[in-house]
Amino acid sequence: MIVASSKIASVSDLRTYRERLLKARDPKVRTIRVCIGTGCAAKGSRKILELLKKACEEHGVEVKAEAMCTGCHGFCERGPIVVVSPGEIFYQRVEEGDVADIFRETVMLGRVVERLLYREEADEDGGRGKGKKGGGKGKTDAEAGNGSAAAGEAKKTAAEIPFYATQRRIALAFNGIVDPTSIDSYIAAGGYSALAKVLDGMTPEQVVAEVEKSGLRGRGGGGFPTGRKWRSCREAKGSPKYVIGNGDEGDPGAFMDRSIMEGNPHAVIEGMTICAYAVGSEQGYIYVRNEYPMAVEHLSLAIRQCRELGLLGDDILGTGFKFDIQINRGGGAFVCGESTALMASLEGRAGEPRAKYVHTVEHGLWDKPTNLNNVETYATVPAIINRGADWFASIGTEGSKGTKVFSLVGKVRNTGLVEVPMGMTLRKIVFEIGGGIKGGRAFKAVQTGGPSGGCIPAKYLDTPVDFDELTKLGSMMGSGGMIVMDEDTCMVNVAKYFLNFLRDESCGKCTACREGVAQMVHILERICAGKGEKGDVERLEALCRLIGDASLCGLGKSAPNPVMSTIRYFREEYDAHIVERKCPAKVCKGLFKYAIDPKLCKACGICKKNCPVQCIFGEKKKPHEIDRTKCTLCGTCYDKCPFGAVLKV
Amino acid sequence: MPTINIDGKDFHAETGETILEAARRNGFWIPTLCHHPALSEQASCRLCLVELDRGGWSQMVTSCCYPIRRDIKVRINSEAAVSARRGVMELLLARCPESPELRELARKMNVEGTPYPKVTEAQRNCVLCGLCVRVCAERIGRSAIGFAGRGVNRSVAAPFRMPSKDCIGCGACAAVCPVGTIKLRIHETEIEVSPFKSRMAIRRCSACGAPMSGEPHMKQLEEKTPAAKEYVGLCPDCRRKKSAAAFVPVGSKPVVPR
Repeated sequence: MIVASSKIASVSDLRTYRERLLKARDPKVRTIRVCIGTGCAAKGSRKILELLKKACEEHGVEVKAEAMCTGCHGFCERGPIVVVSPGEIFYQRVEEGDVADIFRETVMLGRVVERLLYREEADEDGGRGKGKKGGGKGKTDAEAGNGSAAAGEAKKTAAEIPFYATQRRIALAFNGIVDPTSIDSYIAAGGYSALAKVLDGMTPEQVVAEVEKSGLRGRGGGGFPTGRKWRSCREAKGSPKYVIGNGDEGDPGAFMDRSIMEGNPHAVIEGMTICAYAVGSEQGYIYVRNEYPMAVEHLSLAIRQCRELGLLGDDILGTGFKFDIQINRGGGAFVCGESTALMASLEGRAGEPRAKYVHTVEHGLWDKPTNLNNVETYATVPAIINRGADWFASIGTEGSKGTKVFSLVGKVRNTGLVEVPMGMTLRKIVFEIGGGIKGGRAFKAVQTGGPSGGCIPAKYLDTPVDFDELTKLGSMMGSGGMIVMDEDTCMVNVAKYFLNFLRDESCGKCTACREGVAQMVHILERICAGKGEKGDVERLEALCRLIGDASLCGLGKSAPNPVMSTIRYFREEYDAHIVERKCPAKVCKGLFKYAIDPKLCKACGICKKNCPVQCIFGEKKKPHEIDRTKCTLCGTCYDKCPFGAVLKV
Repeated sequence: MPTINIDGKDFHAETGETILEAARRNGFWIPTLCHHPALSEQASCRLCLVELDRGGWSQMVTSCCYPIRRDIKVRINSEAAVSARRGVMELLLARCPESPELRELARKMNVEGTPYPKVTEAQRNCVLCGLCVRVCAERIGRSAIGFAGRGVNRSVAAPFRMPSKDCIGCGACAAVCPVGTIKLRIHETEIEVSPFKSRMAIRRCSACGAPMSGEPHMKQLEEKTPAAKEYVGLCPDCRRKKSAAAFVPVGSKPVVPR
């Protein structure tokens, strides 16, 4: 690393600085990139990084190697991920015990450690067998799984893996490549060249026009055209103006913003600085959840590095342009992701939204013109400036340009972070990138847009994913959460789960959201408990309309979406709960019964011993039975049976 | 000057004026709970919803805070607007079924009852309109009370639900409360702002001894209005008598308050 003795004084100095960085790199040095994104770190990747660094030091005489950390590679299902260059050899599910092999074989001898390569798994069991034992690495899937077919062929690099091959990365382009803790790493990869281009000859007006032309729409949920927002803010009267990065990602199961802030904080800073130049602002804020400590750490470090190099501060790149960013940590309220609530929180007041009849671009933070975008939106901007609006607009669909990052979670084989061009079908995302449903189960629905989104059924799998198409289906793009559900999911229960979340996270300011959502939860709980009444669905629909019309903020207005969409596509499940008192997916306790399969029962007696009401009887060596008249449907026997002989019927 | 079209009729409006102001000035009644002309808008009760015509589509907006900046067209009595307001009132009635004030307002809106069960707990019929919080902060300048809790647990309280040292016992919160949640209780020597548990010495009228307000409140008044110091210590009745005494017709005997 080059220690900058002073600030980079001009745009051409930045270019020289980069050239110096590139020149200082020894092409013979092998680099080992270890993902320290939250998913991989949870599986111990920091320790792996430490061991690899130590190995590099110890064997410094024999081989020139360098271990570095990177942000999230996206393939969280197969973490921890280690990539060795040259060759871009992609190792997955690396454990501490594998470090020695990787170093000896790949780094020192240039050979590939076959067993750590990606292989498509034929059955869901492959991962499980491995996870249980540390040393059980060498097992193939056929051994680990219960008689599943042989695993697919090994893939050496990420590009060969279907999960990556179908993706197109713009916002995540540097994730997994640069070291998020090093500004040099970002600059060497071409970072801050967009800022240099903007400051070196583009007028603010040209920047706004370029973003407008690109067709970029806000990535945080609303999908408002970014260029138009920038223009409104630029033209708004009042001073000073503020630029805010929204990193208060609160959707359950979403980690797009998190991974960007953790893995490539400089892209967010660069995007925000360009925005500040375009709208005429000198002060920016990034609002990050305090639950994202690594994002806070990496962003703080990045801001410090920028100030040291003169990429933030009074005289950026010697152009006289002044801008600085401050980080504010959110206290964990879901509603603070809403722009006006976020600004209230920034001002030190309780995070509650206000009516937006006067837009925040005119009267935002401290009543001054404020441009607020999601951090993913900002991270996309440098690429647009560098490669041009036309390039960006050529990707995607008519109304939604570019790519979108989704966090693909739920019952898919390949959970993780994916970035795809707008307009890719849900089927392609779930089945090609996601690898289909775990355990050979059938696909039932995919929930997009977080808790306020909707569930999309199988018959719409061929819908191209963009802002307008998802809205047409009664769901939304939201910030990009994508939760896949299989046939074992009860849609009424899902609606109840999301509404419960929204009730707990409602700020309680307005009557419609506070009282209305609580009423909906009350009805849904009744239905799931088998006490549904005739007319409940109609009551829910009426409440949905009311809350949608009468709520104060976007979160309230969209709160009915999970219920509306499940009624729209899975009405028969509601009816089954209410009329037949049955849960078709056998999730809602009390709405199905337990039985013992005499063929599978080994008469071990565990169920009998654990039954709290002693309603299981059976002699030794004879299949047991459940006395339905006494059974309280607690499910203990189902949980305890080691042979899977207790069935839900 | 922009024009506002309400239910098909055109009216002049001032730029920046709210729909509610323009409508009320022209004789339209829109129910409100969290609106007070002396306080900032919160737009939280949602009772003042009207339908804003966007040309081809319409949107429910709260009339109390929607500023008229150009010619607009709204519908106060359209089916959609009436049913939205009715829905909100029904939700409020489910929360506070026992409030006579709320029931009275509902009757005025032709809402007779609520189809919903009670699912949220309200402290003494509190509808969370926030008038008390705003009057305390914006007019009295004390911010002794605020909102505590989130969502269905939201309530108005002093910090940590303890008696607040910032409360001066002025009773503005009780005066502005539309549903009688907040009450001033007069004890022997103290005044209590219920349910906030704050108690302070009571000041009685220096002339007649009638209970007036909390001691800290009276002190604040004396500081703020030094010119009228001799009046501040008097109850409204005695104050009137004192003023009247100053205006006795020439020649008649002045009446001295007892």
